[in-house]
Amino acid sequence: MDARGSWHVIGPLIGLTVVGMLWVTNRPLGALGGYIDLHDWLRRPSGKIGWRFFFLVGVVGGGVMHSLLAGGIHPTLTYGGFAGSFGSPLVEAMLLGGAGMLMGFGARTAAGCTSGHGITGTALGSPSSYVATMTFMGTAVLAAHLFALLGGGR
Amino acid sequence: MKPRWIALPFGLAFGFLLSWGRMTDPEVIRSMLLFREWDLYLLMGSAMAVGMIGAHLLRAANARSFVGGEAITWTRTRPTRNHVVGSVLFGLGWSIACTCPGPIAAQVGAGRFGALFIVGGVLGGIALRGWQPPRRTVRAPDEAAPATAGL
Repeated sequence: MDARGSWHVIGPLIGLTVVGMLWVTNRPLGALGGYIDLHDWLRRPSGKIGWRFFFLVGVVGGGVMHSLLAGGIHPTLTYGGFAGSFGSPLVEAMLLGGAGMLMGFGARTAAGCTSGHGITGTALGSPSSYVATMTFMGTAVLAAHLFALLGGGR
Repeated sequence: MKPRWIALPFGLAFGFLLSWGRMTDPEVIRSMLLFREWDLYLLMGSAMAVGMIGAHLLRAANARSFVGGEAITWTRTRPTRNHVVGSVLFGLGWSIACTCPGPIAAQVGAGRFGALFIVGGVLGGIALRGWQPPRRTVRAPDEAAPATAGL
């Protein structure tokens, strides 16, 4: 399980997960909704938390399951990626928080994220999902190239 | 069993697959965005294709949901300015952290708690989006982005 699953296994299995969830629950699969339900519940903890939060809890559980099969969980605060590029954990935490805010604000505005628009919405043929997916993919690709240029092409 | 709980195993499968495909690794996402590897584009494309075929089969078979017994339906929404503006911001955040809302949840599960900073940011961004400046005159709150298949 430590080896990376290849795209032609993982991709279709994710597609089947989307179809399975649609069949069983008649609801579209997407990660963002879980955060929205969590946010709404944090604001009004007296109410019941929405079903999408349960999906998100499942995603966390999926990470636990995979780790256990891939050699155990080794808790760490480091993130990886650009870790070490800035030398300061505080700067890294602020950067991660800022990136998260952009994602939360942006995906809430666009009504979906990579899973909700990029996989489910496009599979269901929703024009807004095609527009959103092309926009965030295009932006992310351009920005990543720009960062690589500025960062000396690491 | 309530539908709330039924969503959990699907999340479990999704989180497991994200981790197994190593979409939880920011370096993999970075390689994807920099065109150093094409696997994740093929992965997303094949997931979408299988999802599309499956959804149409469900519809062709007049399938009904297990939970509510109603016919399987989904909404298609027209693109609006919000979809574009929001996605530009989302794409920026994605390229900085090299991850997105699904994988960060799986990262937390894997014990990579640095991702919690991103989780906090996502919740803050959602709060900021819903925040209304206090006004004297009472007016109807702006409708947030329309509910779509995207959620």
